[in-house]
Amino acid sequence: MIVSKKDIPNLLDKMIAEYEVIAPVKKDNFTVFKPVASGTDAVVGEGNTKLPAKELFFPQSEKLFSYSVTEEGTKLEAPMDDKKKVLFGVRPCDARSLKLLDNVFDNDKFQDPYYLTRRENTVMVGIGCNSPASTCFCTSVNSGPFDTSGLDLLLVDTGDAYVVELITEKGKALADQAGLTAASDADKTAAAAAKEAAVVTCQVNTDGLKAKLDVNFYDPIWERIHEKCLGCGACTYLCPTCHCFDIVDDAVDCTGCRVRNWDSCAFPLFTLHGSGHNPRTSNKERYRNRIMHKFKYFVDNFNEIGCVGCGRCIKNCPVNMDIRVVLENIRGSEARLDS
Amino acid sequence: MMKNPYLPLPMKLVKNFTETEDKLIHTFTLQFLSEEDEKSFPYMPGQFAELCVFGKGEAPFGIASSPTEPGFLKFSVAKVGTVSTALHMMEEGSIVGVRGPLGNYYPVDQFKGKNVVIIGGGFAFTTLRSLATYMMHPDRRGDFGKITVIYGARNPGLLLYKDELAAWEASPDIDLITTVDREAEGWNGRVGFIPAVTGEVAPSAENAHAIICGPPVMIKFTMPVLEKLGFTPETTIMSLENRMKCGIGMCGRCNVGGKYVCKDGPIFTRAQLNELPNEY
Amino acid sequence: MQAIAAQVKEAAKKLLEDKKVDLVVGFAEGSLPLRGTPFFARTPEEANQLTWNRGCENNLANFLRKREGKVAVVAKGCDVRSIVALTKENQIDRDNLYIIGVPCDGMVDRKKVGKLLGGKEVLEVVDQGDTIVLKGNGFAETAKLADLLHNSCIDCRYGNPVVYDELIGTLMPEKAEEDFAEIKAFEAKTTAERRAFMTEEFSKCIRCYACRNACPMCYCTECFVDCSQPEWIGKSAANVQDNILFQAVRVFHSAGRCADCGACERACPMGINLRLLTRKLVKDVKVLFNAEAGVSMDDKAAMATFAADDPEPFLVKE
Ligand SMILES: Cc1cc2nc3c(=O)[nH]c(=O)nc-3n(C[C@H](O)[C@H](O)[C@H](O)COP(=O)(O)OP(=O)(O)OC[C@H]3O[C@@H](n4cnc5c(N)ncnc54)[C@H](O)[C@@H]3O)c2cc1C
Ligand code: SF4
Ligand code: SF4
Ligand code: SF4
Ligand code: SF4
Ligand code: SF4
Ligand code: FES
Repeated sequence: MIVSKKDIPNLLDKMIAEYEVIAPVKKDNFTVFKPVASGTDAVVGEGNTKLPAKELFFPQSEKLFSYSVTEEGTKLEAPMDDKKKVLFGVRPCDARSLKLLDNVFDNDKFQDPYYLTRRENTVMVGIGCNSPASTCFCTSVNSGPFDTSGLDLLLVDTGDAYVVELITEKGKALADQAGLTAASDADKTAAAAAKEAAVVTCQVNTDGLKAKLDVNFYDPIWERIHEKCLGCGACTYLCPTCHCFDIVDDAVDCTGCRVRNWDSCAFPLFTLHGSGHNPRTSNKERYRNRIMHKFKYFVDNFNEIGCVGCGRCIKNCPVNMDIRVVLENIRGSEARLDS
Repeated sequence: MMKNPYLPLPMKLVKNFTETEDKLIHTFTLQFLSEEDEKSFPYMPGQFAELCVFGKGEAPFGIASSPTEPGFLKFSVAKVGTVSTALHMMEEGSIVGVRGPLGNYYPVDQFKGKNVVIIGGGFAFTTLRSLATYMMHPDRRGDFGKITVIYGARNPGLLLYKDELAAWEASPDIDLITTVDREAEGWNGRVGFIPAVTGEVAPSAENAHAIICGPPVMIKFTMPVLEKLGFTPETTIMSLENRMKCGIGMCGRCNVGGKYVCKDGPIFTRAQLNELPNEY
Repeated sequence: MQAIAAQVKEAAKKLLEDKKVDLVVGFAEGSLPLRGTPFFARTPEEANQLTWNRGCENNLANFLRKREGKVAVVAKGCDVRSIVALTKENQIDRDNLYIIGVPCDGMVDRKKVGKLLGGKEVLEVVDQGDTIVLKGNGFAETAKLADLLHNSCIDCRYGNPVVYDELIGTLMPEKAEEDFAEIKAFEAKTTAERRAFMTEEFSKCIRCYACRNACPMCYCTECFVDCSQPEWIGKSAANVQDNILFQAVRVFHSAGRCADCGACERACPMGINLRLLTRKLVKDVKVLFNAEAGVSMDDKAAMATFAADDPEPFLVKE
């Protein structure tokens, strides 16, 4: 199917009638995902949003339930956001990050109803990347600029139009509903050519990385790697696959809410025991955990690398801690950052 | 509709008992509000729950009661921070939230036909009490061989569950050795640190499992003693207490290597822990 | 710049070879254009990776607190001011610190570059002195250096290190007193306008604490935002009031200590205008106490010194 670029606002308006439509919108120097009131608010096709798509399913701050404890009894109320939504213009790396997060929020023993309800009710409309940024390394982590995993529809930019690929039944239903027309053979050829032309210039060699991490927990290299890291939350909060959170009460006496907030393994308090003992005493252990989690523990548990190569941590780290360089140092191999 | 693992079960605090002389540990007895509630909370010794004081937050605590004691749950809580302090100040009759049961439990099935050695130090005796009580239940006692309990505290005033200890002392079903770190007035029992006392008591490792809970130093020095006695990494069992929030393997803070202590533990054999980094 | 980079390398190498220091903290070439990255050289070979360019934007004083052993630092003007301030707070032992001072006329603000290029990605940069060529996929744009510098660098009067053991490059002429124009403009707004501005700005905050952690003067073992007993401030970023409170308290805590280095604002991934707040206090300290942080080893720290004749105008109700 196909939709011309100038029809995108129209298309979104049509969807807005039926769904809450979330799309990238401009904010200062960057874009963020926001529900849009009109199709013209969306800026489709720019680089990755500042904050990753995870925030739409697992918001930075979220009410788990409200409570009131009175003479009459205890009342708990858990809001479930089951609005029908369309996430429009999400990049393949972000879409894939949600597939990875599904493993966490729907694990072998428990389900997180807040996240999963939103996942269930959201149609994911992705847009492929014709010109990947120099910090993108999706192809090095089992993905790519037109990866469809986690998507229901994929838009491929062919210049004046987007060729729409139907990935799932859910996507097809949305496309039908929106009355998209069929793509011609020429359009399809153009889409194939666009895909062909998109090159991810940055490659991170992950060969043997996992085997190294399996054995290098006590390697002195960790003493050096973290040195410049400030131990802030920028990389973890902006990372589409980081899922750590804290649970706190926001209450006056006994009427209030239980809230969860993003948290980060970069913070010392994250693991501080009640006894005062802290298993991760310094930045070294904390930074090591971040790398280990993404490139070893996640692989051990779910057979996937816990990084989708979006490059957000690279672009936003205040001290230019570049995860590509870190991995390379760990592998002890030569630079292949030929961007 | 999937079950919402974040919602606590309201329970009634029926007893707020000052357990130790220093008043820093209280034992809370919580009563299920209905039979239905109780059914929704099937647990085993070694599991824990998140206790919540509405308005303050929640924190994980080992379940000190045994499933063989129906109608209520027991927790012994040290006053260290926000939630524990709020709990300590709670009046009997108030409502406490309980989220659980969480985590795995002591492998009681594997203990069948075996001797069991339980070693506890300080206030980490809570789930060990649950375990001992469970195994000593008349319906089950026959399933297990000899049960030895070595339990120590800094001084007699800090021992938990004193009435029960006295009863165990008198019982032929269980071999109880209590010890305190230093001589104290009115104490006629053993004096000495757990590692040394374990060496003296020298429980046989023959056809036996050892379960050990306590402060890190105690564990560190008791391990070699157990090894010398012949307990293998496979027959030595520990319970970890990493900092937790969600208790369901999602919030990410309790990991030791790739394992989440809340979901994959808190009970691990020494052999399992040997495979993991020492981040606990 | 290249000449300076070479001299930095040489100076560091020599210090390490002569075993005068165990460690040199400086900058290495970063992985992105216009980006230097903090680097820790412990051997003469490692010193080869040290460099100097327009992307050496971090305040390295942040890495010098409570260090063991003899340490050297490659420090520009603002780093040195923070070092001086930290020395007065006993966080740095001046006797164990060797300062390789580098006069600095400014670092490039990548946010300004981004704005100039309308989001196009820079892949290569050619530093031509007063101009900079920004190259990317299918474009090459020449920009004036002056248009790309950090605002803090434009305002800075202390590009020349106020203290050093060795100087690389040449000292620059003095700049005129700054006028705090943007602060005065902000002060002139109505309360409602100021509140509206702050609310808008801090709705972007994600509470990553990069600002706090990048600031050399923020080193409390327990920051008030992390404290749980009592909980001084809500932890959720959704509450803009709390976000503002966090920043307001942070700024007050660094009053008279803040060297206006801009490290906090540079660190902020959300591009929040933090300098507006830090500068307000810089201005107030200057006006009220005629003091500036870290400009001399002899000055007393403005807010940490008691004097019987303090003007204390804040105690007097007008
Ligand atoms: C599986 C498991 C079982 C457990 N069983 C028991 C048990 O049976 N009995 C028992 O007493 N305990 C038990 N614990 C330990 C208990 O969960 C902790 O002591 C818990 O922290 C108490 O919660 P709190 O809210 O009272 O303390 P918190 O307020 O969370 O803090 C406790 C301490 O941690 C530090 N701290 C935490 N957060 C901050 C912060 N934001 N800023 C500064 N410092 C901070 C402080 O030093 C504080 O004193 C168990 C833990 C686990 C994981
Ligand atoms: S790597 Fe960078 S962004 Fe991440 S915690 Fe360290 S300083 Fe912050
Ligand atoms: S680790 Fe960095 S590159 Fe990987 S997914 Fe997270 S933010 Fe993106
Ligand atoms: S443990 Fe660290 S790296 Fe892993 S998800 Fe949590 S914050 Fe991210
Ligand atoms: S508050 Fe900001 S400008 Fe001031 S010293 Fe700290 S980092 Fe520098
Ligand atoms: S760096 Fe920016 S986003 Fe992060 S806490 Fe500071 S002001 Fe907020
Ligand atoms: S407590 Fe949240 S993952 Fe274990």
